[in-house]
Amino acid sequence: MSKRILTVDDAATMRKMVAFTLKDAGHEVLEAVDGCDALNVLKDRAVDLVITDLNMPNMDGIELTRQLRALPAFARTPIILLTTESDPAKKMAGRTAGATGWIVKPFNQEQLLAIVAKVLPA
Amino acid sequence: MNESLQQELVKDLLVESYEGLDLFDRELLGIEQGQGGSDRLNIIFRVIHTIKGTAGCIGLGRIEKLAHSGENLMSLLRDGKLVATGEIVSALLSLSDALRGMLRVLESTGSESTVEHTDLLAQLERLQIAPSATPAPVVAKPTYGLFDDEDDLPAAAAAVAPIDEIHADAEYDAENEPAAAAHHETAPTAAVITASAPVVAAVAAPAASRAPVSEAPAADPSRSTASVADNAIRVDITQLDKVMNLVGELVLARNQIVSNTTVFDQAALTTAAQRLNIITTELQESVMKTRMQPIGNVWAKFPRVVRDVAKDLGKKVRLVMQGQTTELDRTIIEAIKDPLTHIVRNSIDHGIESPERRTAGGKADEGLLSLRAFHEGGQVIIEIMDDGNGIDLERVKAKAVSKNLITAEQAGRMTEREAINLIFLPGLSTAEKISNVSGRGVGMDVVKTNIEKIGGSIDLQTQCGQGTTLRIKIPLTLAIIPALIVTSGGARYAIPQVSLLELVRLEGATARTGIEKLCGAPVYRLRGNLLPLAFINEQLRTAPGLGRSIGDDDVINIVVLQADGRPFGMVVDEINDTEEIVVKPLGKQLKGISCFAGATIMGDGRVALILDVVGFAQHAHVVAETRERPVDVAKTSFVADCDKRQSLLLFNVGGKRRMAIPLALAARLEEFPLSQIEHTGDSEVVQYRGQIMPLIRVGNYITGGKVVEADPEKLSVVVYSENGRSVGFVVSSINDIVEEAFEVQRHASGRGLAGSAVVQGHVTDLLDVPALIRNATPSFYAVAA
Repeated sequence: MSKRILTVDDAATMRKMVAFTLKDAGHEVLEAVDGCDALNVLKDRAVDLVITDLNMPNMDGIELTRQLRALPAFARTPIILLTTESDPAKKMAGRTAGATGWIVKPFNQEQLLAIVAKVLPA
Repeated sequence: MNESLQQELVKDLLVESYEGLDLFDRELLGIEQGQGGSDRLNIIFRVIHTIKGTAGCIGLGRIEKLAHSGENLMSLLRDGKLVATGEIVSALLSLSDALRGMLRVLESTGSESTVEHTDLLAQLERLQIAPSATPAPVVAKPTYGLFDDEDDLPAAAAAVAPIDEIHADAEYDAENEPAAAAHHETAPTAAVITASAPVVAAVAAPAASRAPVSEAPAADPSRSTASVADNAIRVDITQLDKVMNLVGELVLARNQIVSNTTVFDQAALTTAAQRLNIITTELQESVMKTRMQPIGNVWAKFPRVVRDVAKDLGKKVRLVMQGQTTELDRTIIEAIKDPLTHIVRNSIDHGIESPERRTAGGKADEGLLSLRAFHEGGQVIIEIMDDGNGIDLERVKAKAVSKNLITAEQAGRMTEREAINLIFLPGLSTAEKISNVSGRGVGMDVVKTNIEKIGGSIDLQTQCGQGTTLRIKIPLTLAIIPALIVTSGGARYAIPQVSLLELVRLEGATARTGIEKLCGAPVYRLRGNLLPLAFINEQLRTAPGLGRSIGDDDVINIVVLQADGRPFGMVVDEINDTEEIVVKPLGKQLKGISCFAGATIMGDGRVALILDVVGFAQHAHVVAETRERPVDVAKTSFVADCDKRQSLLLFNVGGKRRMAIPLALAARLEEFPLSQIEHTGDSEVVQYRGQIMPLIRVGNYITGGKVVEADPEKLSVVVYSENGRSVGFVVSSINDIVEEAFEVQRHASGRGLAGSAVVQGHVTDLLDVPALIRNATPSFYAVAA
């Protein structure tokens, strides 16, 4: 079933790849360039899943997660962090902020679809 | 992933990475200059991090690997476990060069470079000398997962997952184990690198101090072609939305007009035409905005250029940039890129002295190079200023003599300005020896030619021992320019405003006697200087029957123009108006004619040719034909000894009081019949060029002034413009323009006056324009700001 997914990344190429993969799988995709932009996009729209980069200007993925969790509308929305960090502290921070899961960059399309399928039961 | 998506992603990666690396260089140089801070480190980390992540995802293993090793080093810097030493900065700059090289190969060949960059990798690894700081070895880990399922994290948050889910997840991870392991081979963690480092470092250590990182020349064919990033611009989506909306409106307006042409309804047609007018203007502005780019984009590479050149020459240079956000049309940005780079290199090479010489001369050992950009009168001014040794004009002259560009006798008579202009002659390089940095074929003459090609001008000022300032004036855009429309021999011509100095109209007796012949060439005495004249009808051989000859005319219109820095007069039949024209290139059959720069379509649908002022002047032999010809001393004296003089516009207020303002402040002189004057609130206004222009009766604001105007039917108005807004000063009569050296004597109590001076033997009050405007229309500056 088609879901609406927001992808947040300051790197346009990354965004495009995520968006393409998800659209190909039949989902609707919204895009945002950083945490602030994401909050803007989500101001008047609900999504089924947020996939966000960690390291971004203006507002990073951890802070975005924290702020979304503080909003009743997004308290239970799955949030997946894109990370290349092997740093457990960063991952821990993501977990504490309330993220649902993570995926390590680089990843391939199958891996992305697998984690999406995992958090979004059809 | 399909082929076309892969290609598209690669293209995006290129644009994004080139931009990112420019930012990387800039921030890194900031860090090197001790203006560090975690913000900068975060930015440079993010750039490399992004390149690594993206490259990895589209299967560019080598780029990913290289970025990864840099990322490790930078994460140590960011976490404060390492300090950015000069060596680390140099290595990171080499990294950015290497990445750029790889991107270029990727761009031109479509596949990844095969260069291994072993030395650089080794160096980057060697610099990570804080082994204790590296994270604990990480064995193959899952590439994704859910936090709820994890048990490898400290269980502080202790979210207890239901047992069956953990099971499910364990299964999942097991499935993905091979993929994860394979991945970690290409992107090893810091720990793995440290383990393998001794081997590589041993090989690379002798040569490691400066990693020679460059792509093999053969593998880098892209230099000749513009790279992807040069052909693409990023446009704000809201801007594009606006353009799209306007286009929609335009279609509606067109429909209205089309339907109105069949059912002729005057009123509706007028309304539609007005809307069409507004929409078109807005659309023009919007589309132009999408092409506008901050000049900072070109400047971005200068910190690096300055650093490298200064380092090569053993000089210390501080670069200060102001006005990076000043916007210019994309094509102009492209056109000034190389000239600017050349000037910057020149300034460091020839201008700024070595630290020893500077200290000896009582200056700070660090030279200052400052770049400034700002808008002024619809143009962009770029100033490149250095506090170096200035240009030794004697040496320039000697060089010009030795190259037979001028004779020794001419050199002796030359003024400073003429000597400075020698610098722009081809074949003159003042560097004693050719250095790597400058003096390689591209001289200042090329710089000048390139800038003039885009309708700009360049001016140089130098003071021996104090430094040099180059001032470049360029138009905002090339597509639509303001032009003066003139008629001659029955045809209309457009003359670009940038070349226009003034208009002179000779009437009655002066028209019959004003033009004299000097050795057979017509000249006019303009404020004591001889102005060479060219008759447009004669030069273009248009309508000889209609062409007017000297002596039998009541009115002669002279358009005073500037070509190659020298004024000349173009005699035309009629001067019409100024207009914004759209420049259309000439077809290839006509392109060879140097008198014309292009064509435009006038309001009535007919074509008017745009005059190329320099080309026309050369055709008419009123300026030197080619740059190879030496500067003619006699001709240029017009400009030369005006240095300390100022042009003043003289007018009367209240009937007989003599007043003046600097001519530069008067945008236009106009006459308005009283019937055109309207009122808003308690101020007088007129409609002027689509704007509402407030009128200021100067007499009302000056002590002792009276409001009596000489000619009650018409108002003489001096128009002053700033930031696209205009205000009109109402005066009794406009008398003359003079060019004089004068001394301002301050007034104690002159409201609205800047002082008085003796001009042409009479006491003349000088108007304080800003004070008067503040006084009369306080909102003028408020809105402009």
